[in-house]
Amino acid sequence: MQQTQTGKVKFSRIKGRLHAWFSKPANIILLVFLIALTVLTLYPLLSLLMETFTVHMGKEARAAKLPVGAFTWYHFQRVFATRDNNYSWIQFYKPLLNTLAVSVTSSVIAILFGGMVAFLVTRTNLKYKKFVSAVFTFPYIMPSWTLALFWETFFKNVNIGLKTSNGIMASVFGVYMPEWFVYGYFPIALVLGLHYAPFAYILIGGILRNMDANLEEAATILRTPRWRIIWRITLPIVKPAMLSTFLLVFASSMSAYSVPVFLGSPVRYYVLSTTMKELMNTYKGQAYIIVGVMILFGVAILMLNQKVTNSRKQFTTVTGKSGQISKIDLKRANAPIAIILVIILLLVAVVPLVTFALESLIIKAGDYSLGNMTLDFWVGTGLDKRLDQGDSTGILLNPKVWKALGYSLGLAVTCSVIAGTSGILVGYGVAKRRGSRLANWVSSLSFFPYLMPSLAFGAIYLAMSSNITWLHGFLLLALVGSVKYLPFASRSGVNAMLQLSGEIEEAALITGVPWWKRMLRVIFPIQKSSFLSGYLLPMVSCMRELSLFVLIVPTSNTILTTMLMQYSEKGWAQFGNAINLLIIVVVLLVNFTVNKLTGASIDKGVGG
Amino acid sequence: MPEIILKNVSKRFGKFVAVDDLNLNIESNSFITLLGPSGCGKTTTLRMIAGLETPTEGTISIDGNVVFDADRGINLAPNKRDVGFLFQNYALWPHMTVYQNIAFGLENLKWDKKRIADRVHELLEMLRIGEFEKRYPAELSGGQQQRVAIARTLAPGPKVLFMDEPLSNLDAKLRMEMRTELKRLHRDTDSTFVYVTHDQLEAMTLSTRVCIMEGGLLQQYAPPLEMYNNPANLFVADFMGNPTINFIDGTAQMEGSKATITLGNIQAEFTADKPISLTGKDVVLGVRPEHIHISDAGKREAVVYSTLPTGMETTVKLDAEGIMLTAVVFGDVDYPIDSHVRFDFSKTAVLFDKATGKNVARGALRIK
Repeated sequence: MQQTQTGKVKFSRIKGRLHAWFSKPANIILLVFLIALTVLTLYPLLSLLMETFTVHMGKEARAAKLPVGAFTWYHFQRVFATRDNNYSWIQFYKPLLNTLAVSVTSSVIAILFGGMVAFLVTRTNLKYKKFVSAVFTFPYIMPSWTLALFWETFFKNVNIGLKTSNGIMASVFGVYMPEWFVYGYFPIALVLGLHYAPFAYILIGGILRNMDANLEEAATILRTPRWRIIWRITLPIVKPAMLSTFLLVFASSMSAYSVPVFLGSPVRYYVLSTTMKELMNTYKGQAYIIVGVMILFGVAILMLNQKVTNSRKQFTTVTGKSGQISKIDLKRANAPIAIILVIILLLVAVVPLVTFALESLIIKAGDYSLGNMTLDFWVGTGLDKRLDQGDSTGILLNPKVWKALGYSLGLAVTCSVIAGTSGILVGYGVAKRRGSRLANWVSSLSFFPYLMPSLAFGAIYLAMSSNITWLHGFLLLALVGSVKYLPFASRSGVNAMLQLSGEIEEAALITGVPWWKRMLRVIFPIQKSSFLSGYLLPMVSCMRELSLFVLIVPTSNTILTTMLMQYSEKGWAQFGNAINLLIIVVVLLVNFTVNKLTGASIDKGVGG
Repeated sequence: MPEIILKNVSKRFGKFVAVDDLNLNIESNSFITLLGPSGCGKTTTLRMIAGLETPTEGTISIDGNVVFDADRGINLAPNKRDVGFLFQNYALWPHMTVYQNIAFGLENLKWDKKRIADRVHELLEMLRIGEFEKRYPAELSGGQQQRVAIARTLAPGPKVLFMDEPLSNLDAKLRMEMRTELKRLHRDTDSTFVYVTHDQLEAMTLSTRVCIMEGGLLQQYAPPLEMYNNPANLFVADFMGNPTINFIDGTAQMEGSKATITLGNIQAEFTADKPISLTGKDVVLGVRPEHIHISDAGKREAVVYSTLPTGMETTVKLDAEGIMLTAVVFGDVDYPIDSHVRFDFSKTAVLFDKATGKNVARGALRIK
């Protein structure tokens, strides 16, 4: 009798506790996302792991002499330990070394360039600051291949690479650049470094801007020479941001695909991502192993990053009252530095656009005279009869282009709505249950897609979707895009929520405002610009994404980026350049319209 | 001995005038407070003397050396002015231990290691933070951080020490304690202290002279008690003292240094300590709360509006026929709210000209 009673009490206690747990929206959100993210990230990972032990159709089955679907160690043996014809060296170790070399160099370039500009803008009286800070994020907003393509079209010549035609440098100025300058390690690292320099600029600049000026003034009063202040005070305080930047740029460079394809493949300079793409067509199992290696690197980097940011030297940046820190007077160096910087930015951000425009106008490659130019590739008709290549109309009159643009925009908006909203919800849940195991899990899982190389992510989902009949076409693209860009959105969501004190919501809770209304009427309006940034970044990224979608885009409906690739592959250079310009203009337009209208900006979600 | 002289110093941020034509003579070994509400220009003044801010006009000299002269284009860098600066938020370097924070300035002076270690330990001992030597600032409480900041500032033995609201981030009890120690420190270090605060109590209790500012303009520069008893204008009278001074509007009828003042229904006689000259008839009478005396022998009656007893004293708000008055009664007394009491002015009051807001005279007040 007694026992059943205590049993009953226990049961009702548990029931009460469960009820209390489920009555908090944060818990339900976290639980839902835990399940969804497990399915969407861990399941693909698991299936990836399975693939590395499975024999696939085609060449692979023949080479392994095993039936399709059988279990095998063959892929591992091939990738890691085959000395015949230097197979493992060529397919794995050399690309790995190349990847590491490129990634390290590009990280260093990004930090040096981005960090230096951040310092100049926040700490000195540099001229043209407004222009510099406005244009500096361009390279990140534009597709990463933009600079690569520009580099190639500008410097290529008939002596090197594919030896097809002369670029502007050779045909206009008569200068033939050496191969190492145009293709391979140097330009890949440089272009990636420049593309990710805005990461460094935003992360390091953010710290510098919020850094308490008193910290430097205290050193000044204690008679510290200027250089020693920078070396002993400023740099150490920025160090965690620099390390974070290094790791993030490293991870991003490692999984970059389009840049090494444009600048590496013509001279057979391979990195892991390009090797993986090649293998994907022939030896899938080996390709998946390389994906696995890349993911392992990513996870290691994430863990390192977390270790770096959690140290006992806590870098709380309480802002002092002296907002107007005395800026370093660059004196006579000001104008030269400013002008050099502006020239570099013009070269990186504006000249490529002009080049694409030019390239889309000329009829015969390499001839940049006015007589060789036409607007036909944009608005011409009956082109197929006059030219021996391309579509019959210019791209602006081509319904296929408009359809692809519509499809791209639709996809971008869908992904941004799903990823952005999920990001806010994840942010809410994680911030509310800060420090709990559940929150940590969801937070890590939501960042995980960031570590998956886009191409591999697409490949895995392709493999996964073949088993699920309803998952294809637009639905598949939207799902892949949303999951892949969730990290950006959840980052800005968590940050925005952490800034909000709990009391703000509690004040509404106490007067009985329901949860959805608290979100919509209280929380969202307060952190509007941060949240909208969480929508903007997936949208912009989606618009310019190629490698993520290239494997899963349905043949009936192309998006702009895959269309660009098709045109490039067919050698329709002018159409390709025109579409490229179209993509860039649309992306920039979307970015700046949203930025002007809502104050959302890409800076707020970058990098993590 | 360092003496600081400011002549015609102004600071403008665009059109906004932060400090307007300031003249100040800070004697050596004094403890000066720059006092005023936020945005009055006190911090800007301090930062200009330290060299962290560049004045728009004027000259500043420290210890006989001109450190800034707008006309002659002299502007000595802060690290060449031989001063110490204590920041409101301490500005401890988060990536250095307590020891490293304190030693940093000494390294700049190229002291040898042994001497640095000795000096740091001396300071750690003096400020009773020896046990935290190897900790990082994030691992210290506010009060401990404050001590480290003081140690760091004192380490090179500056002859002039600037402090920018150094106690405002501490809790009330700790603040009390640090005040005592700062005063002691001032004596022990034998240097000139310039201290910025918005807390009049801090200014009263700590300084040898107070410089009170408002809207970038110097209002009065005097020893604290003189400022309390004989404020230059309505602003100073109102700012100094807690509970605040009573201002009673009235009209005055002059007879030499005597005046008959009508305060609502109350007629009072004011005997000034010097001849009075007024621009008009309208005056404001300033009466400190401790000079309103509540007793059965009081000449007038008032209703108790509210009381705030602290044990040591009780602040009583009175409604004297429409005039609200604040009185302080010492000791543990209390009055029921809405009860009737009798009160009187106990002599001292300050007469202000209503039109100019300026102090006209100090004198004795007697209800007729």
